[in-house]
Amino acid sequence: MTGPRDLNAQIESLVNRLRRRQVVGSWSVSLETALLLRQVVSVARWNQVNVLINLVKDVGGKLVMAQPRELAVGNIVRRVLRLIRDVYNSEVSNSNTNLTSTSEEVEDDDKDYEDDNVIKSPPQKSKTYDLQSYSGPGSIISSSFFSSSASMINLLGDGSVSGKEASLDYDRKCYNLKPTIISELQELINELENMYVNIADQAMEHIHSNEIIMTVGKSRTVEMFLKTAAKKRKFSIVVAETSPKYLGHEMALSLSQAGIDTTVISDSAIFAVMSRVNKVIMGTHAVLANGGLISVSGTQMVATAAKHHSTPVVVCTGLYKLSPLYPYDEDSFNDLVAPDPVMSFDEGELIDKVTILNPYYDYVSPELVSLFITNTGGHPPSYLYRLINENYDPEDTVI
Amino acid sequence: MAPTTKSTGKNIEAETALQAVVLADSFNERFRPITLDMPRCLLPLCNTPLIEYTLECLAVAGVQEVYILCRAHSEKIKNYISTSKWNRSHSPFKIIPIVTPEARSIGDVLRELDAKQLISSDFILISGDVVSNIHLDKILDAHRTRKNIDKNLIMTMVVKEASPFHRTRSLGESSIFVLDGKTQECVHYESAELYPHKRNMIMDMEVFEKHSNVQIRNDFVDCQIDICSIEVLALFTENFDYQDIRKDFVYGILTSDLLGKTIYCHIVKDAYAARVRDLQTYDAISKDVLSRWTYPIVPDSNLQEGDSYEYMRGQIYKEQNVSLSRSCVLGEKVIIGSGTEIAENVKITNSVIGRRVNIGPNVKIDGAYIWDNVTINANCSISRSILANNVVLEENVIVNKGCLLSYNVIIGPKITLPSYTKLTRHKQNLDYDDYDTKDKEDKEINQLLHAQNIKLVKDNQKDDSYDIKLIGENGKGHIWNDETSDVEDDDEAKNIKVTTLAYDLSNLSFTDDESTASVISEGSSDEESDSDEPSNLEIFSKEVAQTVERAFSEGHTIEIASLELNTLRMASNTSFRDTRIVVIPSILNQINTDKLLASTKDVLTRWGPLIGKLVHSKDDQTDALFTLQKYCAKTDINSKIFAPSLRTLYEIDVIEEDAILEWYYDERSKGGVGKPEIYSKIHDVVYFDSTLLILAL
Repeated sequence: MTGPRDLNAQIESLVNRLRRRQVVGSWSVSLETALLLRQVVSVARWNQVNVLINLVKDVGGKLVMAQPRELAVGNIVRRVLRLIRDVYNSEVSNSNTNLTSTSEEVEDDDKDYEDDNVIKSPPQKSKTYDLQSYSGPGSIISSSFFSSSASMINLLGDGSVSGKEASLDYDRKCYNLKPTIISELQELINELENMYVNIADQAMEHIHSNEIIMTVGKSRTVEMFLKTAAKKRKFSIVVAETSPKYLGHEMALSLSQAGIDTTVISDSAIFAVMSRVNKVIMGTHAVLANGGLISVSGTQMVATAAKHHSTPVVVCTGLYKLSPLYPYDEDSFNDLVAPDPVMSFDEGELIDKVTILNPYYDYVSPELVSLFITNTGGHPPSYLYRLINENYDPEDTVI
Repeated sequence: MAPTTKSTGKNIEAETALQAVVLADSFNERFRPITLDMPRCLLPLCNTPLIEYTLECLAVAGVQEVYILCRAHSEKIKNYISTSKWNRSHSPFKIIPIVTPEARSIGDVLRELDAKQLISSDFILISGDVVSNIHLDKILDAHRTRKNIDKNLIMTMVVKEASPFHRTRSLGESSIFVLDGKTQECVHYESAELYPHKRNMIMDMEVFEKHSNVQIRNDFVDCQIDICSIEVLALFTENFDYQDIRKDFVYGILTSDLLGKTIYCHIVKDAYAARVRDLQTYDAISKDVLSRWTYPIVPDSNLQEGDSYEYMRGQIYKEQNVSLSRSCVLGEKVIIGSGTEIAENVKITNSVIGRRVNIGPNVKIDGAYIWDNVTINANCSISRSILANNVVLEENVIVNKGCLLSYNVIIGPKITLPSYTKLTRHKQNLDYDDYDTKDKEDKEINQLLHAQNIKLVKDNQKDDSYDIKLIGENGKGHIWNDETSDVEDDDEAKNIKVTTLAYDLSNLSFTDDESTASVISEGSSDEESDSDEPSNLEIFSKEVAQTVERAFSEGHTIEIASLELNTLRMASNTSFRDTRIVVIPSILNQINTDKLLASTKDVLTRWGPLIGKLVHSKDDQTDALFTLQKYCAKTDINSKIFAPSLRTLYEIDVIEEDAILEWYYDERSKGGVGKPEIYSKIHDVVYFDSTLLILAL
């Protein structure tokens, strides 16, 4: 049996590999995270959902701290949390309907009876408990005050979720949720594994014959997308070389090997070539809550040039890259890597006197993006808030 | 179910565990006096102990077993390792400290390692103070493929290109690699220290016959990372005089005709690797880390447990719980550890500030390395210096560039420390005797340090033992001099001086363009040769004198004595003349001045032929006469020896009459450096004596 110690070792191992950048790339990072969380759910001993939620949050927090630049880690953790909550809620609503019909049936177990009491009790009570924990060892007066204010919130707030309100504590003992959660997690992992295919399948709708398409950097999603389209349609691609990493060179090589008509241009020629381009298709490192992109450096220039020429910018991205975080500070999601490619280290006298920066990412504001193609279909940037609400629980935004 | 990568990792482990050997001792004293308290590999670089960088690099390479070889402060290293994250269950490798208290060099350490039979296959030999983001596994693969082609390959040295005056290159010690241009086989190695200045190197002509394309390169930073085959250890055991891995081992292997082993270089292009060799490279590598050349090994990766660095614009790294005043100014390349408080109007640039540091108002800090728990009071100014843990600067202290304040030193108030001051709480004269004997065994050091600690307590009670003028009324600390080392270590001392912190500033300002740079190197080499030769000669003279002395006391035959002298002469590459200068006076010293004539005759008939062995031509004879004269001209008593000894030498055919005449007519024989009157006296005596002699024959 894989004990908790083994699990800890696995967590630490992933944390360390994230720190040392031994696992890089949004996709592999999120797959590793999902696999680890599945392990956590199956190995850990829990009988209340809030214990499990705290556990997942705890592990997730460690992973996020290990590599704050890989937003996908946090996204997967949030997805898993949401999934656990959803499984629990549907379970509770099922049992609630069962309870009203055959209440005696459940009462044969004492513990269950207590739990049922909690559930049957009015929603305000559970809310009170919740807030009391915020206010610390509060007196009775304060707790009653909070209870009234909580009910006020209830009155003013979303009455639609009052059904959910009962389950906010997630402290009901559940013995049969584990298999459901694990199967749901497996579904998430499958979704990740099939993601490239799902996105590429939409290629035919977006790429038409004899179009000129520009792309930037190297993205596996875009690569698959274009190659799928190339099977049936004939079009040509312009790749910006994307200095200083020159990822564009690799991208162009890979595309030309697939038989696509490919042209590499230097980054400074992007604006000049843009007038002839029908569409810009690019990948991204992460999508933020406002629809802005964190993408390889050079993308901002491409997007701005496209805006100037009114060329549509299409971003291919898996849903796991969608993050509920807002870019309050554009720098905060950026990463400065070794300045080697910008200036060689042997320039001894220069590097002592010159500050050399090599930012890896660009922030692209949502106004510059026309469409997101995700594994669930195409969405405009203005629709992202919906996707975020569907996929993540607002409570989990901060892990 | 475990992830698949995990299980494959275990399979590899079962086949061959990748081993690494970390040398946690530097075998030099570049970091004194700080290393009196703490081994170099535990000193913080950007608030992280140096050894962590090395271990991190090994972890990335997928190493499974790490042997840490330590000597000085071995307990501290062992304690550190046992409490670190590397000793936990989820550590990527097994970490085993090995203490070698008797070792005095890297060679000794490796011989001991060989004796333990722990290493089973190719291993990584790395110094415990290397900072690198290299993926060593790739280099290891390259080593293995090369080994398949060249069966004699025993070692791959990792080097990085850098221009001659690069900050990360150690000015004190650098090396010249001669490579085969195609295969990057290292065909010759020459260490090139700044002092003594090397002007030539000798290479075997065979090198050019064997290799069509030879590169002689002086643009490498030696990273001190080697991929070694297991034979390397055996070779160290076989050649027990190998001390240094580069100067002795690599040089020895490459110049040996018998071994036929080969060594390759791996030139790193896109990764960073450098070793903290001295204070100058400490400064440079800290800057490299802060300007992110070592990415992903940068502070904001938070590789240490409990680190919480955040990157801010302008290469500023700030940990959590730092309190900055509203009016303080942080310039470029600054890192600040948690718990630090910075008061109003403080200016900090290019500096590392440790944890829990208190900086008072109006302090200026530039290029300083301030370690943990330091207190700096108001109006201080620090430039390009190191302040170790728990240092206290009282108000209005100015620390000029290149200063080194070791643990717990207190300075001030109102003191200006001159440049390159080194202060420690240990009294130097106390331990100096010990270093002089060079018996730096670990136990002794530990005991010594223990004794010093006791001493320290006493010192605290009577403050008058400190130099109050230098370090202020409340000051606590003794001055530490590097220059007290032996005469033979003169070059080493100079090299150390070059490598001190902030030396590069003054140096670089001269070397703005190539032409002046070469002029400077000329100048320094001249100055060096002046001071260097006597020291070499001195050693030689001492040894010759000892040999002659031994010959006298043990009654060697002339043949044996001359053989010994000749060997000595060849070994130190000196002339017959140098030998004569020493031998003649030593022989004459044997003469008993009470019975002058008889004794002179006895001694010279016994030992005169030894001089004869050193004299080959007429010029030599004349020169020998000058030496004789010089000796005799020293005192009045000596002057009486001259005539009889000359006569005896003439009689035993060591000196011929032509030579005597030539000497006699030479101007120099009439008045010399010593006492002119004695010279002339001798001259006259000889005049009579020799004329008599010549007439007699």
